[in-house]
Amino acid sequence: MTAIAPHNDQLLAVKKLRVHFFTGAGVVQAVDGVDFAVSPRETLGLVGESGSGKTISSLALLRLIPRPGKIIGGEIIFKHEDLIAKREEEMIKIRGKNIAMIFQNPAYSLNPIYSIGDQLGEILTWHEKLSRQAANERVAELLQLVGITDPFSRLRQFPHELSGGMKQRVCIARALLCSPPLVLADEPTTNLDVTIQAQILDLLQELKERFHMSMILVTHDMGVVARMADRITVMYAGRICETATARTIFENPRHPYTQALLATMPRVDHSYSDGKTRRLPVIPGRIPNLIEPPSGCRFHPRCPASDDECARILPELLSLEEGHWVSCIKAG
Amino acid sequence: MGIVRFIIRRLIFMVVLVIGVSILIFFMINAIGNPIEILLAERPGISPEVIESVKQYYRLDRSLTEQYLSWLGNVLHLNFGNSIVYNQPVGSMLVTWGWETVKIQVLAILISLALAIFIGVTAATRQYSKIDFGVMSTALLGRSLPGFFLGILLILTFSYWLGIFPSYGAYSTRSPLMGSALLDSLWHMVLPVMMLTYFNTATLTLLIRSNMVDVLRMDFIMAARASGLSAGRVVYRHALKNAFIPALTYLAILFGLMLGTAPVTETVFTWPGLGFLYITAIQQLDYPVIMGENLIITLMLVIANLLTDIAYVFIDPRIRLE
Repeated sequence: MTAIAPHNDQLLAVKKLRVHFFTGAGVVQAVDGVDFAVSPRETLGLVGESGSGKTISSLALLRLIPRPGKIIGGEIIFKHEDLIAKREEEMIKIRGKNIAMIFQNPAYSLNPIYSIGDQLGEILTWHEKLSRQAANERVAELLQLVGITDPFSRLRQFPHELSGGMKQRVCIARALLCSPPLVLADEPTTNLDVTIQAQILDLLQELKERFHMSMILVTHDMGVVARMADRITVMYAGRICETATARTIFENPRHPYTQALLATMPRVDHSYSDGKTRRLPVIPGRIPNLIEPPSGCRFHPRCPASDDECARILPELLSLEEGHWVSCIKAG
Repeated sequence: MGIVRFIIRRLIFMVVLVIGVSILIFFMINAIGNPIEILLAERPGISPEVIESVKQYYRLDRSLTEQYLSWLGNVLHLNFGNSIVYNQPVGSMLVTWGWETVKIQVLAILISLALAIFIGVTAATRQYSKIDFGVMSTALLGRSLPGFFLGILLILTFSYWLGIFPSYGAYSTRSPLMGSALLDSLWHMVLPVMMLTYFNTATLTLLIRSNMVDVLRMDFIMAARASGLSAGRVVYRHALKNAFIPALTYLAILFGLMLGTAPVTETVFTWPGLGFLYITAIQQLDYPVIMGENLIITLMLVIANLLTDIAYVFIDPRIRLE
């Protein structure tokens, strides 16, 4: 068994997805053969450093890869249909209505010159062909659900009149307007105050259950996935390292990168003293240049367990046990 | 409430500015010389009595301050005096010559605006493509060419070689084109409008393109696409309106400085507009005409600025007039 086999109960199955960017300096292999799947009502945490390809993977699901990027291979099976084969006109009906996205920076993800009611209402009149009046009522209802008080008067407000946390609530409301079965949340709390972060995460959890949605939570923050995710997929340099239930990832990580990533998490029950200095462990080196990625396993130059074989063999994502996949030749 | 107070304040400021500019211009022209003396320098042998009576006729024998105040007083009664060269009332001259300028300038600005939006958006959505490079280099060339040079090229090509458009004037002196005054007028407008359009379009296109490129990179554009809106709707409804806000200032400058760019075009095409009149008036020290034109130029700039500020409030909700 080489990849995650699609089950009938899966909402989304991504298989061998490859996204390359054709730049003047060369071809950037940003996402290079990525597999993951999401079941109904499940939260999948997509974890990795910046540049690991997690955001590009989620944009690929919407077929919104910015130029000069291109999906050059793989399948994205959503509700038994391959999104890569769909025409743009068909994708328009998928985006927002079936797969919605919440972006990293709420300060910039609302159009500054349209009121909240205008820009959220537009999506409903566009997708659901609702009247202006009906759209406004639905928008107000959702604003109320995401915890915004006095929703009808907010309809006339503009993004600059709202706080950062408020804007992210509006963005969440926008994503849920058409009750999509799958929501992609790309670092939804990274740019918020710590106190607001917890509120937004609780809100996402609550709404996910209320709307019976699935969610892909893209983040570099292990703390966030620990709190939110049912399963976790760890990405490194455009490839999957490990996929397992959240519990397995934290208790029994098998890929050296996952282990290293977990070791960088500060923990209250650990002492980081080595006698002289006190510091958190770091992963030595930096994320590789993806125009000429390392041969073999992409992590091998930074990997403490690597040997000559790792530089030669490109590891496949293999199942170690039920629901636990690892791409490392050492993790036999 | 705020907007009304703002407009009133700006209008008061406008009156002060217009008076200030007219004082400056009036004394500057007088520093150059006196029209009667310049006139007489070319024709010696006129007796001092005649000179004195001519000066008296034009009230040039009084002190400068008196002259200025009488001009200002007359202007308040919408009397701009008589042209010394044409011996016609300046007020009606400004209207008839002004119409000739306004019709080519406004037409050129409107055509440029439509072209610049279309070309700028097309180039921005295909950034770094061949189309984009073609648009950018043509526009840069357009901005770098001296104004008269393109005019001469147009005359050479379309009037001299091809012979399809007239090279000078606003109307045929003998029979109008195909017996229609309107067609004849449009026929004469083609080359000057082409020249003005090219320069306006060049700058506006570069401006709209670069603003569009910036806006299209913003997260809210991706968010709008991710909400399922079509590419066209996102580009024209969400991106263009944001990208157009900075271009509004340039558009206002085009309208406000209409008379500032007119002299070059109108000299190249011998176009009977305010620009042409302005140049000849300065050459002949035709005070009342110079003063009248300056008044119009100042007013147009200030009004264009005021209208832009008001337009900003309606387009960009983040802007409030204090």
